[in-house]
Amino acid sequence: MPDSRVLAAIVAVGLASYAMRAGGFLAAGAIPPRGLLERLLRLAPGNLFVAFAAAGILEGGWPSLVGCLGAVATMAATDREWAALGAGFAAAALASAVL
Amino acid sequence: MRSSGPARPPFTASAFRRGFVAALPFVVSNGVGGVVMGVAYRGLGLDFSSAVLWSLVVYSGTAQAVTLGLWTTSPPIAAMVVACVATNARYLVLGAHLRQLFGDVPRRVMLPILALLADASWLMTVAEAERGRRDAGYLLGSGVPMAIGWIGGTALGHALPVAPRGPLAVAATFLPLAFVVVLLPTQWAGARSLPPWIVSAAVALVVAGTLGPSWAMLLGGGAGTLVSALRGDA
Repeated sequence: MPDSRVLAAIVAVGLASYAMRAGGFLAAGAIPPRGLLERLLRLAPGNLFVAFAAAGILEGGWPSLVGCLGAVATMAATDREWAALGAGFAAAALASAVL
Repeated sequence: MRSSGPARPPFTASAFRRGFVAALPFVVSNGVGGVVMGVAYRGLGLDFSSAVLWSLVVYSGTAQAVTLGLWTTSPPIAAMVVACVATNARYLVLGAHLRQLFGDVPRRVMLPILALLADASWLMTVAEAERGRRDAGYLLGSGVPMAIGWIGGTALGHALPVAPRGPLAVAATFLPLAFVVVLLPTQWAGARSLPPWIVSAAVALVVAGTLGPSWAMLLGGGAGTLVSALRGDA
């Protein structure tokens, strides 16, 4: 059984996740097509992902940087998420062994 | 489910079957991702039921990876919720579009289906509608194999008898980051992406070094998004 803190985190994040999935359907009228909010929602993911990657690389060091480069290059070349995850994992392991 | 007719909402068993079969390959591809997530959860020290619950209740690779990156002995729930909202806000746009397609389907039918909404099932359903086969059964049918792959993969990954050591252990700690960076090519819009992305990375690095990593993604991503919006990106 999960402990209470972990369970609270799962429930809270799960509710937030479902709210995003159902919220757009329920509040469709409040998100005008081609409005500022709609633009921000579309522009945000790439910037958030880059910021997350930068902080993660700072924390993880060279293996994380090499792993990210391997994963991104493989994804760009193959468009296969599973292949990119595998390549990133292998690149990070290799960098950790060598550097 | 009912057969389709002119006055009936578009939610049919035949479309469910079509969507299910079309999305079967996702059992494997989502399964691989789920296995990786399960291994990462075990590396974090989460028990089997907690790991499976994360994938069952949250069911979002991006949100799970980001919250995994924020994990401490005492999970920062507020930061995790904000991070989940920020990374999954794109679903608001997808959901608003689905309302245009399925506004005539009762909410008691649509709201449970939306729990399984994924980028891929949305794309497949929209493509199906553009071919003249608008049906919420297809959205549900295509979502089920994706969920089976993700949740089953997480369980399998957690149960695998592997204990990463040395370089493999270092690579295992990299996995949450990997889930996010593989999405970058899908967001790349050519050289125009560079200035806001540089701002995002720079602000994130400063925040990570001062306030801590919990808020680096939100503040860095927010700054980059602001740059994109101010210069008129569509």
